[in-house]
Amino acid sequence: MHVYLPIAEMSVNVLVFLGLGGAVGFLSGLFGVGGGFLLTPLLIFLGIPPAVAVGTGAAHIVASSVSGAITQYRRNNVDLKMGLVMLVGGLVGTFIGVEAVRLLRKAGQFDLAVSLIYVTFLGVIGTLMLVESLNTWRKASAGAPTVSRRSGQHSWVDGLPLKMRFMRSKLYISAIPPAFIGMFVGFLAAIMGIGGGFVMIPAMIYLLRMPASVVVGTSLFQIVFVATFAVILQAVQNRTVDIVLAMLLILGGVLGAQFGSVAGDKLRGEHMRTLLAVLVIIVAVRMAYDLVVTPSELFSFGGRV
Amino acid sequence: MGLKAIVLASAVVASATIAWLAAVAPSQAQNATLPVESVEADVSTRSVSITSGFTGTEIIIFGTVENSRQPSAEAGTYDVVVVVEGTPAPAVVRKKARVGGLWINTESIRFASFPSYYAIASTRPIDEFAEPDVLNKNEIGFSHIRMVPSGRAYIGNPNPKEALEFRDAVIRLKQRDRLYVTANHGVIFIGRSLFRSTITLPPNVPVGPLTARVYLLKDGVLLSSYQSKVDLERAGLERFLHDAAIERPLLYALSTILLAALAGLSAAFAFQRAMAS
Repeated sequence: MHVYLPIAEMSVNVLVFLGLGGAVGFLSGLFGVGGGFLLTPLLIFLGIPPAVAVGTGAAHIVASSVSGAITQYRRNNVDLKMGLVMLVGGLVGTFIGVEAVRLLRKAGQFDLAVSLIYVTFLGVIGTLMLVESLNTWRKASAGAPTVSRRSGQHSWVDGLPLKMRFMRSKLYISAIPPAFIGMFVGFLAAIMGIGGGFVMIPAMIYLLRMPASVVVGTSLFQIVFVATFAVILQAVQNRTVDIVLAMLLILGGVLGAQFGSVAGDKLRGEHMRTLLAVLVIIVAVRMAYDLVVTPSELFSFGGRV
Repeated sequence: MGLKAIVLASAVVASATIAWLAAVAPSQAQNATLPVESVEADVSTRSVSITSGFTGTEIIIFGTVENSRQPSAEAGTYDVVVVVEGTPAPAVVRKKARVGGLWINTESIRFASFPSYYAIASTRPIDEFAEPDVLNKNEIGFSHIRMVPSGRAYIGNPNPKEALEFRDAVIRLKQRDRLYVTANHGVIFIGRSLFRSTITLPPNVPVGPLTARVYLLKDGVLLSSYQSKVDLERAGLERFLHDAAIERPLLYALSTILLAALAGLSAAFAFQRAMAS
């Protein structure tokens, strides 16, 4: 069964994209991540133009993060003030990102930029995750207690101006680092079609020293709004949001995510993180391979004029 | 003033008469010997709709040779060429080169226009029977499609050397996407004068009006030609969504977000109920 995509302007097999949404949803439910970092590269491998993959990916993120964000908010796991500061930065970052997409497409370098950013981020984060999870694994099997969070230490973050009190996080820090993190993640959301949880959560834990209980909720809060803003800007500025493609991915994705989260309860944390790290590294290597290997066709049509 | 008008009017009448005489005279002279062959043709479908279920379609181009002197369908007295062309559009073609180990788009050429789709069918391979200038003049065959690079450097220089490999690349890329297709024996005579040809429009055919052209040749000489339009438009939901995305992008974006959020929430809600029961 085929359907014609109005923006990607191609006829695609419905089952392939429902299945892709389902598979990515299952993995994201399993690992508790958004899954955008898997979805965008897979869409590109399947022949969707990279800019459409990125724009449509943002709509997928709205669907996959909205229910989680509401649940976390109800459980009072969202530091609203922190979330808003990050969101302000996030909106600015998204705006810059969408503009960067437009300029890069015009210059014919968007596909390259997406690949390079993906390879860099996934490569670095995948490796860090793998090392970390293997360490915990080793320590856990040796019976040593795991240390998760250092506290009471001072860093360069404490020296910045514009200090604000964040009650929910029990922090008194400058508003600059959270706004900057938000901006960076918003930029990535626009250019990579991801939520950015995998960058934001480590930054919130290690840089801002936020308590683990509010990290997930606050990042989801920020992701929902940044993704919403990204959908609007990509649709208005770049015309790269394909509603039919989005619905196929979302339908498969939201169902897959529910099954994934049930399956996730049965896996051990460090096993899960190792698996996720391996997955991230595989995607990075696959994209790097395409950049380095001699292409069979050197010529290509360069976007719309 | 009045005199001027009369002089002008009589001049127009006189020149029209001369033109009419010039046009009629030779054909009358030929009528005396043998009737001239000409082609009459039509397309099976005058309009094709791209709906959400569009997976490509076929159009049939059929026609007849008036005053055919061909003894049978197999005689091969006449050659017929059918060309179906998409709307010409500008496009940028880029070329990758290795830069520091990575393959990066480095060179590019912008062509002012070339057809987005080009299907050609003929009774036999075109270079077997037609002179290059007939092919060139009518843009028959991939190598005769007009592709002019745009930009100041190319003014007065329609076929610069450096554009040649880009031109070949356009044809190669379009052939790979099945948007430039050749059928060397795609036009078949059914009788002494009746012929037909089936042209396949792939699912990725660019939206926009198509032009169908039919050429009748004998001994490499063009005898007659025919031209017709085929509308290729989006329709139904497909059209509604595309128009919304272009004309009302904000509303389109908000609807996408609303649908996405609803899908996310309802799945979570339904699953919670299912788990609780």
